[in-house]
Order: sequence, then C-alpha cells, then structure tokens
Amino acid sequence: MAALRAEKISKSFRGLFKKKEVLHQVSLAIEEGEVFGILGPNGAGKTTLMSIFSTLIRPDEGRLEVLGLNALRDTHAIRERINISSGNPNFPWSLTVRENLNHSAMLYGLYGRDLARSVEGAISTFDLEAHVDSKFETLSTGLKQRVSLAKSILNRPEILFLDEPTSGLDPDMAMKTRALIHRIYREEEMTVVLTTHYMPEAEELCDRIAFLREGRLIALGTPGELKKALKIGDRIFIEYEGEIDPISLRIIPGVMDVRPSAGRVEVVFDRSGGALGRIIRAFDRAEILEMGLEKPDLEDVFLELAR
Amino acid sequence: MSWRGELNKLLSATYKNWIISKRNVFTVFELIFWPFISLLSIGLLTRFLEVADDMVAFVLVGAIALSILQISQIDVAYILLFDLWSKSIKQTFVAPVRGYHLVLGAMLFGVARGSAVFIILAAASRYLFGFDFLAGGGATVLIFLAGIFVTAASIGMVVCISILLFGQRADVAAWSLSGIMMLVSGVYYPVSILPWPLQILSKSIPLTYFLEFYRSAYGYGSHQVLLGMALALLYFAASLLILNLAIERARTTGMMLRLSE
Repeated sequence: MAALRAEKISKSFRGLFKKKEVLHQVSLAIEEGEVFGILGPNGAGKTTLMSIFSTLIRPDEGRLEVLGLNALRDTHAIRERINISSGNPNFPWSLTVRENLNHSAMLYGLYGRDLARSVEGAISTFDLEAHVDSKFETLSTGLKQRVSLAKSILNRPEILFLDEPTSGLDPDMAMKTRALIHRIYREEEMTVVLTTHYMPEAEELCDRIAFLREGRLIALGTPGELKKALKIGDRIFIEYEGEIDPISLRIIPGVMDVRPSAGRVEVVFDRSGGALGRIIRAFDRAEILEMGLEKPDLEDVFLELAR
Repeated sequence: MSWRGELNKLLSATYKNWIISKRNVFTVFELIFWPFISLLSIGLLTRFLEVADDMVAFVLVGAIALSILQISQIDVAYILLFDLWSKSIKQTFVAPVRGYHLVLGAMLFGVARGSAVFIILAAASRYLFGFDFLAGGGATVLIFLAGIFVTAASIGMVVCISILLFGQRADVAAWSLSGIMMLVSGVYYPVSILPWPLQILSKSIPLTYFLEFYRSAYGYGSHQVLLGMALALLYFAASLLILNLAIERARTTGMMLRLSE
C-alpha cells in the first residue's frame, strides 16, 4: 500500500511582479516502509515538495494522499501521524534543548509518562544528554540538527520526513544518523522520505529515488534502475605504451563512450554484455601500465540528470 | 486524541510563553515597570491638575485597564511573535495543533500576567492615591477583567493575522493596536468628547463598555456591559475564525515558509 501518493502536484509562489512556478505536475507514490529519496540541484523544488508532503503548505493543483487520507482535507489527522526534521532547523532560541523537546511533545498531544519517555528516548538516541540544559541559541549547527532529528521522532511517526538530515553533522554523527534511519526503516516499519545533497548517503539509504530539476520530476527509480535508464556504464581507465586505435574500442558491443588522451584512455561500457574482456583484448599490441575500474555511483546519475 | 492530549496541546503555548517570559528581563518591564510608570505619571498629573476624587478614579481606571489590555494582548500575539523572531514558525504549524489550542493556551498565560498587573496596580493606586479598586465589589472586578481579557485576546489574534497575511513587518501591529484603543475607547476621557466619527468607532469597541461599566460602580454614568460582552465574544469568535483562515492562507501563499527563513 502506498504511504503517500501524489498526482500532478503543482505549486507557484507569487513574487512582487510575477509568479514563479516551483513544482510542475509532480506525480509519484511512496510505498509503506520504504526509504525514499528526493534529490535535485539547489532550487529544484525539493524542500517545497517536502513541505507539501508534510502538509505545512498546500499545493495549487493536484491530489495528495498521505496514509490513505486526503492531504488537502484531513490535514490535522495526518499531522498526528507524521513528523519532519527540517534542514537548517530553528526552535525558540531561549528555550533549552529539553524545554524545546517538551514543548514539541506537547504540540503533538503527548502527556505524562509518554511525554517524559519520548523526550528522554529522543535525547538518548541523538546523544543530547550533555546539552539538555543548553539554550537552543547557543548550540552549534550540528547540535541544532540533532535537536531537530530528536524532535522528529517524538510522536513515533508513521512517515518521517527528513530534509537534509545530515547537513551540519560531523562524520561520526552523520554515520550514526544514517544507521538510525536504517534501524527505523527496519525495526519501526516507518516510511522515511528524505532529501539530501550527499549522493553516497542517498545511495546507501534509499530504496528509490526521485530526481527533481526546475520543479519537474525527471527520473524515478532504484539507484540501479536510474543508472541503467541513463546508460551510465562502468568506467575503465587504462594507461598504456604503444599504439591503439580508439575506433577499435568504439565498435565493441556495449561500449558507450571512449575518451582517449596521450597514453591513456577511458572507456565507459555496459558490463552485462561481456565488453570488459573485449576492451582488454583491444590492447594486445600495447603494454598496459596501469588500469582501474570504477563502478558508476549516484553522483554520476545526479550529474547526468542535473545537466 | 484524549482530553489530556488536547489539554497539553493547549498548554504548549502557555508553557512556551512562561519559559520565555521567566528568562527575559524585559518581562519585569512589561509586568511592573511600564504599568507602574504609567499609573504613577497619570496619578501625579491628576494631583498637579488638582482634579476631583471621582475624576482621579476615572483616569486611574483607564490607566489600569490599558496596562492589563496591553500585557494580555501581547501574550496572545506572542503565539507568533516568539516563533517569528526565532524563525521557528514551521515547527509549530507542522504539528497537529489548531488555532484555538494556541490562542487559549497563550490567553491563559495572558490572564495570569494581566491579573498580576491588576493586583500590583490596584495595590499601588490604593497606597499612592487612595483609590480603592475593589470598592465596586468582586463581581464588578471579575466582569471588568474578563471583558478586558477577551478583548485583549481578539487584539492579539489580529496581530497574528496581520503577520500571517503581510509578513514579518506586520509585527508593529502588536504595539500599535492598543494605542488605537487608548485613543478611541475612552481610556483617559469620556468618549462623548471625541469627534462624532470616532464616537461611532468607540461604540464598536468592547473596551469602551467595560470602562463605562467599571466607572459606573463609582457613580460615573451608566453602562451597557451586556452589549460590550456580546461584542467582545463576537470579535473573539470572528478573530479565531479569521486566524484559522489566515493560517490556511499562509500555507497556500508560502508565507509559512517565508516566515521561517
């Protein structure tokens, strides 16, 4: 069952003199228990889409169902069952970490022992014990991000929206956060929707990915499907002495691109057709000095799509 | 959602206002300094002008009412103002709270602070100027305060509505609206001396009726407190309705995101 289903979502913001379309006819479905990534360059509309999904703002057009409820009508019921951690988060500055979490838990209708347990659990999950009495305004960017993440799990949401969840975190905490997202996904059966600029993170975490560019959904699928659809092949680079004919490489079935330079050639190819052996054999009359093989990653997909 | 859950959503605004206020030195100014300075300067002015005792009562009632109104309305306006200044508005509105949770919770704190201001100023006016604020009876005081609190909540909501519709710069409304009340609702003078267009306006403001009601207990004119209470409740309900519409509009226009940036 789809945890979230969006059909032809469009959104424009009115400026002083003109209207700017931020999202155009975006349609997608996110399955229950899935970790779903929304990627795209700056200004692609990721945060706007996330804000619409989390019912913070309303779309101008389109249909949106969240947890089987109409997100344009049943917003209050949806908000009870979801939560969001915003990128570049802010909370009332003069409240301490604990007070901010208490306040947020109250906003979600938690009380008594449930409230205390949720707040303590969130503090412990994100290693905030040493900072509970610090005012929000005194925290570093990374700590603010951790407070925001802690807040986002207070009500044990069925869908967790994470906008740039590891931005500002040090590598250790970023790794811990990714591990936590993994754990939530597996143990709590929570659906996670996240945006990120960090491609290895998206590749590590996401079952499926939607790419946005200039407000339009331009690709949707698993990382593997996207690489295949975009014909982003493996890359082999070979440094050699002697002569080879680049054309002999180009005509090998499965070779997608050949980039020769002095004493070095880079070949992009589809590994599935047995092209690798033929590429190596093309160097029969040359001496291979060095060779390396790179598998494509999501960064390549991103660069291809953002072009 | 259980009633305790609903109650805690409502108390979330009380909790936030309480924590921020107790940590903010400006609270002392809001609660004691400015109301006291206002009462003292007005009281001394009456001494200097050698006005009759009933006129002193007239003016002091107005001064105290204005101080209570100002502090209670700002507490409701703080629903958005604190979040606006911290750029944390979206944290509140992504949560499952409704306008009435926020308004009633903030109003609760406003009532507490307004009552504290009343007690301080009533004690000061008795000690310094010999004016017994309780002479009209407990019921009179309660009706007077209730009317001011409901009116203040409507003004606070208008501030919130202005911010949601027009953005951050509209926070100036938080301090200007009570100034307009002072001008037209007969805080320091009877509304009969106002030019007629302002007299008509004054009749549409509940504070006018609550001031007349309280002053009537000291033998100064008659009152239509029921009309005032009806107007106050009508404005309260209308403001709450419009606040909810303004929240939805801010979700449509994207103001909700802009106020958090």
